[in-house]
Amino acid sequence: MAVINASGSASVSDAVRVAGGEQILEVVNATHRYGEVTALDHVSITARRGEFLTLLGESGSGKTTLLRIIAGLERPSAINRITIDGTDATLLPANKRNTTTVFQHYALFPHMSVGENIEYGLRVRGMPKPERRQRAEKVLELIRLPGLYERRVHQLSGGQKQRIALARALVTEPAILLLDEPLGALDEKLRIDMQVELKELHERLGLTFIYVTHSQEEALTMSDRILLMRHGRVVQEGPPTDLFERPVARFVAEFMNVENLLDGTIERASGAEATVRIGSHLLRGPWTGRGAAMPGTKACVAVRAERIQLGPAPSHDAQSINHLPCRPGVTIYKGKYVDQMLGTEIGPVKARVWDRSMEISTATAFWWRANDCAIMPVESE
Amino acid sequence: MALAEHAAGMKLRQFLPRLSVGIWSLSGFTFLWVIGIVVPLLGILLFSFLQTKGIKVQWDLTIKAYEKLFFYGGGPLIGRTIRIAATMTVIELLLAFPFALWLAKGAKNQNLKLITFTLLTVPFFLSPVARVIVWRSVMSVHGLVNTALLDIGLVSEPVEWLIFSEFAVHLGYLGQYFPAMVWPIFLSVALIDDEYLEASKDLGASRLRTLVHVIFPLALPGIVAGIIFTFVPMLGDTVVPQQMGGGNVMMISHNVYTMIGASNFVMAAALSAIILAIMLAFQVLLWAALRPVGGLNNVFASLRR
Repeated sequence: MAVINASGSASVSDAVRVAGGEQILEVVNATHRYGEVTALDHVSITARRGEFLTLLGESGSGKTTLLRIIAGLERPSAINRITIDGTDATLLPANKRNTTTVFQHYALFPHMSVGENIEYGLRVRGMPKPERRQRAEKVLELIRLPGLYERRVHQLSGGQKQRIALARALVTEPAILLLDEPLGALDEKLRIDMQVELKELHERLGLTFIYVTHSQEEALTMSDRILLMRHGRVVQEGPPTDLFERPVARFVAEFMNVENLLDGTIERASGAEATVRIGSHLLRGPWTGRGAAMPGTKACVAVRAERIQLGPAPSHDAQSINHLPCRPGVTIYKGKYVDQMLGTEIGPVKARVWDRSMEISTATAFWWRANDCAIMPVESE
Repeated sequence: MALAEHAAGMKLRQFLPRLSVGIWSLSGFTFLWVIGIVVPLLGILLFSFLQTKGIKVQWDLTIKAYEKLFFYGGGPLIGRTIRIAATMTVIELLLAFPFALWLAKGAKNQNLKLITFTLLTVPFFLSPVARVIVWRSVMSVHGLVNTALLDIGLVSEPVEWLIFSEFAVHLGYLGQYFPAMVWPIFLSVALIDDEYLEASKDLGASRLRTLVHVIFPLALPGIVAGIIFTFVPMLGDTVVPQQMGGGNVMMISHNVYTMIGASNFVMAAALSAIILAIMLAFQVLLWAALRPVGGLNNVFASLRR
């Protein structure tokens, strides 16, 4: 375990992390095919020491394949190089790599006790029993399950299994911890608790985590950096705020659950700004696509429901505001807030209203600040 | 008192109809099993302690049959039977385990797998006599093997121990009981989730360690079943010792057959009782062997995933 021993070393490791850190993982140009299907298409990634890197994507996006290639459980069809903690691991089998995996269904050995499961990685390395036990008990404390050492696997709850799988992977002190949708099988409340716990554990250990998930919420909560994958390629990579605020393509905005995606054609573009025509309406906003915005190409205006204001637009500052007339549609009660559907000339729009005292069913117009939306190309590439 | 009895009766009557169909059919099966299997066995046991005069049974319990059995070379007979059955069980296990492993986890070609499965069912639908008799034409003095050996010039005279010998009996058992060992091991290995093997590898285990620490313990239910289903039927096999041993290799089951033929039912019963005793001893041995891993219950508990 990366226990911070001297008082000085903590600040040093923090400094390294702030400065971008040294590279602990490098995958160069990995391609993998299952028969005719290309699961991974010339993907290169890097990770810094101590980083929480999330591979986000739908099922079939190639994220799990990439994780398995890093673990050594899958041999890629073609690859230039994998470097793990300074060692060229391209040809190393899984058991020789300095990584461990927390499997989606935990894969705890059913014929072993909790203690035996945790000690497994140490046992196959030939560590004597007393030392093994000591390390296992320590890790059990770390994951806040002391006293479960003798328990049988089938006596554990789902949440306990999840943590024991984590403990088993942590005990060998790998350079990189790989997590394959580890919270997927848990119920919602437990999942949210575990998100916080994983995040805390990551901070405490300073270990590099590579985390696979299809949940944008999990990715946003925990990651230092997110790689959004689709069809075996990385669509966008960056810190959570980047993916959330500045999607580079319509797909990213859609995946990050932006409620209103309004498709049109670029009318004008000037540097960081773009204007999109949808029917007879012109909508302005910051351009977040990769290249420059090209007038005449298809583009999408992405605006989150909570950024939409009901009522007439404030008359001052008209340049930085998009406004449209509407007629109110269905109101959906969500407890904390209300989602109001609006019928408009450019299609249905969803507005989120937090103020319960507001009279919403009479709204005839709505608006949002140009800076509160993002404009991006419809196509990914 | 009477009231209490009445109350108990009421309780019982309330309780009985509530038993599910499953329990009723289970006790039905138990009843049939007792009638069909246990009673005849007890009959054999009882009979082995009797004596006959002509065709008349004398109802005085005696151990004369057993005395006679051991006086006329029963000891070596029992020893040989156990030795051959045990040797072949070990050999079958050593051959079947890697084979089952390959079939369950290694073989990727579906057609090859299908053909292998079909071949493995052969002993179950072809008469044992028919299969064993083939060995005679292969291994006899004028058989295939000897002809080939003579032709190549490896031997100047036919090798005689190829048939009607202990070697031949072992060989006869080999093919006969191979599927009985392979099937249960195959099933238990096939049930092992690949994720366990990956987890083992991921945690740093070599192939050998994965085999020892993960595959073997998880396949233990199949191994135990395989041992039972080869060792026990071998004890009762009459075809192989007769056809392959040709009277040179005496084994208990074959002797039972001979005794019945000679109308010496008491001796046949005594020999059968010996087989029963060997089986019981085998069970005790198995129970003792499985104690370090937590007993039979625990072995099968690993199937609970």
